Amino acid sequence: MNRYLTRENAIRWAPLMVLIGLVILFTAINPAFFSQRNFARITVAAAPALMVAIGVTFIIVMGSIDLSMEGTVGLTAVLFCFLFLATGGTLAVGGWVAMPLILLLGAAIGFVNGLVHVKLRIPSFMASLAIGFVGTGAAVLVTGGDIVKIDDDTFRALLTWRIAGFPLMVYVVGGFVLLAWFIQSHTTLGRNFYAVGGGEELAHASGLNVRRVRIMGFVLAGMFYAVAGILQVAKLGQAESVSGANFMFISITSVVVGGVALWGGIGGVWNTVVGVLIVNVINNGMVVIGLPDFLQDGVLGLLVIVAVVLSTDRRSISFVK
Amino acid sequence: MDLQRLKPHLPWITLIVLVAFVGMTDSNFLKPANLLELAGDIVPLFIMALGLTFAIYIGGIDLSAQSMANMITVVASVYLASLGLWVAVVCVGLGFALGLLSGYVTTKLFVPSFISTLAVGGVCFSVAQWLSGNRALNMDAEQRNALFGWMIGRTGIIPNELFIAAGLLALCLFIERRTVLGRALKAVGAGELAAAASGLNVTRYKMLAFAISGALAAVAGLLFSVKLSGGAPTIANGFLLPAIVAVLVGGTPLTGGVGGVLNTAIGTLIVAVIRASMLYFGVQATQQQMVFGLVLIAAIALTIDRSKLRTVK
Amino acid sequence: MYALKAVDKKFPGVHALKAVDFEIRRGEIVGLVGENGAGKSTLMKVIYGAYQPDGGAITIDGKAVRFQNPRQAMEKGIGMVFQEQSLIPNLTVMENIYLGYEAQFVRLGVINWKAMAAAAKMQLAKVKLDIDPATVTSALSFAQRQLVELAKVLTLEERVDGDLVILLDEPTSVLAEDEVKMLFAIVRELTKRASFIFVSHRMDEVMKLSDRIYVMKDGAVVDVVPQGGATVEEIQHKMVGRNVDREYYREQRQKPFDASKVLLELDGISLPGRISDISLKLHAGEVLCLVGTEGSGREAILRTIYGMRTPVSGALKIKGQAVGAFNPQGAVAAGVGYVPRERKIEGIVAGMNVFENMTLSQMGRYSRAGVLNVAAEKALARDWIGKLSIKAHSELADCGNLSGGNQQKVVLSKWRSGGSDIMLLDHPTRGLDIGAKEDVYEMIRDMSDDGVGVILVADTLEEAIGLSHSIIVLKDGAIQQRFDCQPGAKPSLFDLLHYMI
Repeated sequence: MNRYLTRENAIRWAPLMVLIGLVILFTAINPAFFSQRNFARITVAAAPALMVAIGVTFIIVMGSIDLSMEGTVGLTAVLFCFLFLATGGTLAVGGWVAMPLILLLGAAIGFVNGLVHVKLRIPSFMASLAIGFVGTGAAVLVTGGDIVKIDDDTFRALLTWRIAGFPLMVYVVGGFVLLAWFIQSHTTLGRNFYAVGGGEELAHASGLNVRRVRIMGFVLAGMFYAVAGILQVAKLGQAESVSGANFMFISITSVVVGGVALWGGIGGVWNTVVGVLIVNVINNGMVVIGLPDFLQDGVLGLLVIVAVVLSTDRRSISFVK
Repeated sequence: MDLQRLKPHLPWITLIVLVAFVGMTDSNFLKPANLLELAGDIVPLFIMALGLTFAIYIGGIDLSAQSMANMITVVASVYLASLGLWVAVVCVGLGFALGLLSGYVTTKLFVPSFISTLAVGGVCFSVAQWLSGNRALNMDAEQRNALFGWMIGRTGIIPNELFIAAGLLALCLFIERRTVLGRALKAVGAGELAAAASGLNVTRYKMLAFAISGALAAVAGLLFSVKLSGGAPTIANGFLLPAIVAVLVGGTPLTGGVGGVLNTAIGTLIVAVIRASMLYFGVQATQQQMVFGLVLIAAIALTIDRSKLRTVK
Repeated sequence: MYALKAVDKKFPGVHALKAVDFEIRRGEIVGLVGENGAGKSTLMKVIYGAYQPDGGAITIDGKAVRFQNPRQAMEKGIGMVFQEQSLIPNLTVMENIYLGYEAQFVRLGVINWKAMAAAAKMQLAKVKLDIDPATVTSALSFAQRQLVELAKVLTLEERVDGDLVILLDEPTSVLAEDEVKMLFAIVRELTKRASFIFVSHRMDEVMKLSDRIYVMKDGAVVDVVPQGGATVEEIQHKMVGRNVDREYYREQRQKPFDASKVLLELDGISLPGRISDISLKLHAGEVLCLVGTEGSGREAILRTIYGMRTPVSGALKIKGQAVGAFNPQGAVAAGVGYVPRERKIEGIVAGMNVFENMTLSQMGRYSRAGVLNVAAEKALARDWIGKLSIKAHSELADCGNLSGGNQQKVVLSKWRSGGSDIMLLDHPTRGLDIGAKEDVYEMIRDMSDDGVGVILVADTLEEAIGLSHSIIVLKDGAIQQRFDCQPGAKPSLFDLLHYMI
């Protein structure tokens, strides 16, 4: 047998194959799918979700889970708008200050999340879920349930300014993906996520400060959620307390579809990129080929199952919960 | 008395403390009529949480419960006229079958239940949209009252829904404590590998747990549609997270094997009291969700029994 | 240099260490022997900082120290080479070597992979292992991983100024003969820089390598033997508390089995990568031992018989019936019982009580229409608690809180009460104290008397030889040799070892 055609390689590349297969499938049904304009549409739709998914990837690699994204994205989006308006309402004056501040806020929310999880010894599922509630609640509180709008042209350039047909935000997201990849493979923290996910007790026995790594993971995730919050505002020109709605399921589904194992230690940023693209290609493709609205949730569900089935290494797991 | 001995009792102690606390601020809260009203209102949520308990008890999760209930409200509204009382059987059967499907995908195709139930939920949502044409539907009031009116009436001052809830709780408690199925589920939740090495058909029992969860979500949907006399594809939205929270706060951790349906009953009441108490404390609508989240962290931090968790992930 | 004074450690229900005195001098190799459950692993955990003692003192060069965690112990120069694989499989070799100590290769937040690889290469050279440090650990053989673990601990040499103490926990159990020789050569060479504590079941190796040997029994040090100060038999006597003789393994109770009654027949069973072409027969009343090193296929054979794995070729007959579908339900129904090696994970369900565990495999017998007869279950449990003198406050005790021996008795009674007459025992005495072991041996003889066929994977070779009617030696998934073990004409350790490695 060819040495490149091993089982390991088949499993590693399965998600990408699924993605390519889907593109071919949708193109065959409607050639309009395979156009630069449509790809731009897919990438814009995927941009904020990808940032959320990358954030949660770090957590899942550690073998934990983070469900606070909807609250964090909602709160950061809303506060970004307020800050942006308070500092001049345009990037040209002082609005840019809002960006680093909001990233810090995201990190702070993640920090609290990590503290609650690690210090109070509450499983991350519950801790992050509750923090998510608090985040959404805080967003409701500051907006009073209203919508906040931003119409600064310089800021909206993220969406409107196109380079080679793709809006600026796609390149920004690309930059953050590279940053995430860099953290994952070239920093101690990134590697320690894998150590914790691969064997928490062993990592502890090797002298690793597992608790610190866990908290830092949530901080990092929070920062990426904040990026998603800002991008969500750039995309829609407004924010409200529910700006983060649906991100939880979409992002975690994408991560798993991309081949990151929920039990930790396996997969990474590139898997997540592919996973997010798979989910968004399915979403977009169903519209392009004219599938009735009411069918789309069901079909997405079934296709996600197929994608997970195709991209998990069933021999390496004894049972699944 | 040392804290470890106290731990398993914390959920109901928390409940009593909460009730007493709210009662001290406003004595109206403690009036039997008010408490019964409060309890009656959360019965659909409770039934859904009851079902979820089975999925969580074996260490899984059922995220399709809410979409299932949504779909069932539509199914019940559409077919009440033609099927009459049989619509209840169809609803519960449908819930059971779709739960079985989630279980099949989880156990046989090795898709984490997180994903599989979400996907089945998507299927439910599609069916609901298709059946309803994406509109809110109404039941024929006369027919509803004739066939299902008993569900939402009162006996004395006690809402009938409470009897339904008590009946289902008793049934689930019986399954959990006295049947082969309940024992097998406990074994799967507490030690799946040992259960398999004892020759239990783990796959079948796990599928059944998801099926029960689906069936109970369907009952919740049915009750909800009778209550509202109609159905819509998103009518029960906002149920899922409180239901999960009710299970967790009650003391059935996501790792499975501990806790049970009785814990869920207490957990649901804790959630209900927290929500209701916000009215009594004059927490504004815009602040409620945030307060709910904070109280939740406190409640979970107090109630979960960490000695049964091997590593906190 | 490094010393423990009257160190005590208690766990709920177990007094694991009783006033242990222990001392190691510079450049010394100290052996540590004792039966499973004698307290060796607890002592080691105290030494490398995983456990904190309840009483007594730890001193280094006369100064009292206290370690909160393994890392603090490492900073004082105490390192551990683990018996169980303790490398994280999804990381590369160099990442494992420097896990937790990456900072030295980080500049401006970026890991310098080249520098780490070069440093790792140097560590690997110390153990004479020539592999690419960027290899993912899961791709290595067991022997290679063992050497990587040693290399990892040896990084202390650069990191710590004071003396080093390195614990070696069963380092030879997965190594071939020449690898053992090389390891010993390395260890001797390293005594210039470090002291070693050497823990092994292979008594001859301990005697060969160690300057002094601490002998433990029931949580206490019973003797300290200088090199050449005692024979293997004398040390074993100290470990067990009396002679390890034929009586220990109940050899006088070994009766010939019924060769006419075949309970189990394997014919050419193969599982790719695990076992190939396995054929054997198990008779009523026979104790058949599978002997081999880790990964030689012993467990795979048990699991295939139990239906947890489906062979790709070959046939399995249980009591003359060919098995078609391989699953545990079918095996249990046919009278097969399985006592897994991982007692706490696969044997008992912690969190369930004694009677629930006992009827787990036979709920059908204690229920009608799916409703359990709890009173009958409890009666059964009380009956067996009495029969096997299981120490539990009642049938309602949580199995997770019982001692290892009593847990094992629960597992055994689960199958015996259900009438299983083919028993698969995987390391049934692992981690049990002497008394509990003897109980298990007694039970195995009882089973033989009742006509039960037993396939045993024993904890030690001595145990295998002592208990069995027949021994099958496995290597790399294939049968090497078969031995008859009639009392008085049993094969020796070396007869078996010859075919194992």
